Amino acid sequence: MIAVEDLRKTYGDFPAVVGSSFEVERGEIFGVVGPNGAGKTTTLKMLAGLVEPTSGTARVADRPAGAPETRQRLGFLPEESPLYEDMTPLSYLRFFADLYDVPRETADERIGDALDELELEHRERRLGDVSKGMKRKVAIARSLVNDPEVLIYDEPASGLDPLTTNYVLEFTRELSASGKTIVFSAHNLYHVESVCDRVVIMNRGQIIARGTLAGIRERHGETTYRVYTTVPVEGAERDEPAVVGARGGESGAGTDRVSTPKGRSNDGIDDRYVAEVDSMDGVESIREAALTAGGRVVDIRTREPSLEDVFLDLAGEPPADDPRGEGTR
Amino acid sequence: MTRREGNEDPDSRSDPNADRDPGSAADAGSDTDHDHDGDRGDRSPVRSGRLARAVAGLRRLPGVVRIRAGAVARITRWEVTRGVGSVDRRTAVLGVVALLLASSVAFVAAASGGVALDTGVYRVGVPQDSPYREPIDETPSLVARPPSGELGEEIDVRVTADGFAAADARKGQAALSALRNAVRRHNDRVMGTEDNRTAAFPVLVRLRYADRADPTLPSRGTNGSDGGFAAAGGGADGAGGAGGAGSDGPLPVPNVGGGGAGFFGQEATGSPANIRPPFPFASLVLAFLFLVPMNFVIQAYGSTILNERVNRRGQLLLVAPIQPGDIVAGKTLPYLAAMIAVTAAIALAVGGGVVAVAAVVPLSLLFLASTFVGAMFARSFKELTFVTVAVSTFLTTYAFVPAVFTDVTPIALISPLTLVVRDLKDVPIEPLQYAFSTGPVYLCAGVLFLLGAGVYREEDMFTQRPVPLKFLDALDARLSGRWSVAFVSALSIPFVFVAEALALATLFALPIGVSLPAMLVLIAAIEELAKSLHVYAGYANARFGTGIRTALVLGSLSGLGFFVGEKATAVAQLVGLQNVEPLGRATFATAGIGVVEAAGLLIAPLALHAVTAGLSALGARKGSRWYLTGLVAAVAVHTAYNAAVVVALG
Repeated sequence: MIAVEDLRKTYGDFPAVVGSSFEVERGEIFGVVGPNGAGKTTTLKMLAGLVEPTSGTARVADRPAGAPETRQRLGFLPEESPLYEDMTPLSYLRFFADLYDVPRETADERIGDALDELELEHRERRLGDVSKGMKRKVAIARSLVNDPEVLIYDEPASGLDPLTTNYVLEFTRELSASGKTIVFSAHNLYHVESVCDRVVIMNRGQIIARGTLAGIRERHGETTYRVYTTVPVEGAERDEPAVVGARGGESGAGTDRVSTPKGRSNDGIDDRYVAEVDSMDGVESIREAALTAGGRVVDIRTREPSLEDVFLDLAGEPPADDPRGEGTR
Repeated sequence: MTRREGNEDPDSRSDPNADRDPGSAADAGSDTDHDHDGDRGDRSPVRSGRLARAVAGLRRLPGVVRIRAGAVARITRWEVTRGVGSVDRRTAVLGVVALLLASSVAFVAAASGGVALDTGVYRVGVPQDSPYREPIDETPSLVARPPSGELGEEIDVRVTADGFAAADARKGQAALSALRNAVRRHNDRVMGTEDNRTAAFPVLVRLRYADRADPTLPSRGTNGSDGGFAAAGGGADGAGGAGGAGSDGPLPVPNVGGGGAGFFGQEATGSPANIRPPFPFASLVLAFLFLVPMNFVIQAYGSTILNERVNRRGQLLLVAPIQPGDIVAGKTLPYLAAMIAVTAAIALAVGGGVVAVAAVVPLSLLFLASTFVGAMFARSFKELTFVTVAVSTFLTTYAFVPAVFTDVTPIALISPLTLVVRDLKDVPIEPLQYAFSTGPVYLCAGVLFLLGAGVYREEDMFTQRPVPLKFLDALDARLSGRWSVAFVSALSIPFVFVAEALALATLFALPIGVSLPAMLVLIAAIEELAKSLHVYAGYANARFGTGIRTALVLGSLSGLGFFVGEKATAVAQLVGLQNVEPLGRATFATAGIGVVEAAGLLIAPLALHAVTAGLSALGARKGSRWYLTGLVAAVAVHTAYNAAVVVALG
């Protein structure tokens, strides 16, 4: 559905995107991840036909990116919601439906469905008078008025409250389930992890990793073990209470930890210490050290690397010479 | 580098209709996605492919036109709806009320003979049967009172059988003076109705407006004894007396006065005291009315364009399946329509005809085009204000100043407003004169829209760069290869023509010793700037290699393009601007082809333009300072050439 080959964009001497290549299958949610200035937005704009590549090719909906027939099949959601604030949601959406040559009846039907799905209220209120979350919903509805095959969403949940963010992410998943192909960019890696099937990680204009999330973790992250002891051993620190609802990725004897008073865990031990090691040999060493010190190991937990860990690990290294060489699918 | 190459669809090369919905909006711009294959290695299939695409393109043309017109119409409808919707009802009601009020006042004022603050200010005691009664009744500032009134209290002046008695006060003297003027005007008018004009006006003056350096003029102080009597020009809007100048003078001034009644019915006959210079004041004032609404419309137009750039609002339109040109056209049309509608209404009100409206259309376009470019360059509404005021001031000056000389010199024809003045004076206008007057303006407007549309894209619309850099970006956006340099040079010709014509109109009144050298330098500077600025823009955007050979090639191409485009100024010869000696020749003939000197001068201008543009290009490749140095050198060479040609041509 989307094929990008050696895409490159330079602004003067500044390389915004350097030789990006990837493919996206129909119905897939494809994430483009990276920090600010990594080249995510430029890549997405080239896919949307907003920015002409300096070299390379991009095909979207199996057509050349930027061609009018491609735009007809594309829904684009920029990072900001640049709406015409003197218009109402309805008039705004109808105008764009008109631009895409959607018949009025069909347009009204689609607009109604989208607004219902998005639970958008105040449809006759001027856009300048509605909340940011509402504006974002209108912008999302606008990206759907032409019933596009491909959706390009740039930071769709940026700046939204958690409730609206979850709503947007859930809606994105529903769109994918209905057969839309979605390219999704975010610098909040949790957003990407929660919706994307595959991702590319960009840094300084280059793709530094790609693939499924599990695959990337496997290739670029490493499982660590947290060993909890009743006595201090070498390399261990006093355990601090965990945060309520700490994000997943940590597994072991129990489920995610819950908050406890400082110095007291939920296993009844007042003071305990934690050491992090990256192999079972390390775990064994800790266990032996604890026994020697008159204590014991009370818990061992494994910790899977998050996408954020992977990214930090990758971004801390210089980009590979061959951007396609690492983890090419 | 052909940046679109990368996005071409190889499949659609062999089948132009592949992957397209027949009749869909997608077809509208499909041509642009398949015509950048010039650098491919396999030429023959490419050429046959081009031919096939051209044929297919022609077949699709009606559909494309229909679709693009539809897109423009959608944007236009939206712009109108938004424009109306953005004004709240209270404001709209207040505006309508204010307009009605102003119109009522204007109507009442017009119906009562104009707004006169001094109406009835002087009281004149005059008998009912006095011959002075009529001139008093005709004069708004005078009011008749019974002669028995007390002088100084009830009346200011008393008319008696022996003469006049004025109150012993300043008002009494002023009233007496007003009465005398009224009587004199009355007498002139009465005498003007006499059949025997020689008897009515024993002193007859024949006026001929001619260049002050005209050697054929009789020496100062001699009478006009070159034949017979003729009526003197007069009246505020007259200039009818300029009659003979069109035929027997060395300056082929069009006989715009018509020799008879002018727009306001002024007589060609009158007292010598009433003779005034041929300044079509009344017509000019009315013509100026046509410009006033434009200054308001461009404010709204500039705002709507800049509004698209603020907060990236226009980004989503750029993603939609419509061309940037369609967006620009759609947003411009309502304002152009408004201008034309207002112009037509004014023409209807003041007695102008179709010509007046047709003459204002290119001005409207130029106002909008300049504002469009300004709004595309401005970084904020504050900057936009400066831009629109500058546009408004410059264009109003360009339109108005030459029109002042409507009755004097053909230079006036560089302004379309001159056509309006002439139309209001019922002077016929030749198609060629219309073309001369409006052609450069149409072209300038077109090129400006082209420049602005070139940066109507994501990469340029939303960047915050200073206006001069934006201007360079806009020029650079029109460059795609070396030959495009020649094309852009040719596109600059309308601006060069307008700038030189404006310089001519400004300088021709100065002494020749000052104006001629100034003109020669100015012409050189204008032309060298036009030939080199886009080359510099290309270098500034790293479009060209910085080798000497490349610079010389670019300079030569720029000179060639300019030379070819310059020939368009030959139209100036057709309406006689070159006869505005010697500035007209200096302006429009130094690098052009003369009648006798054509053979000798055909190659020289081309060589000049190539050499001087090469000098500028050599400087431009090394940065702004060197560009200025190269430009100065080019101007110096060009000026020397101009001076040599003027001297050679005498």
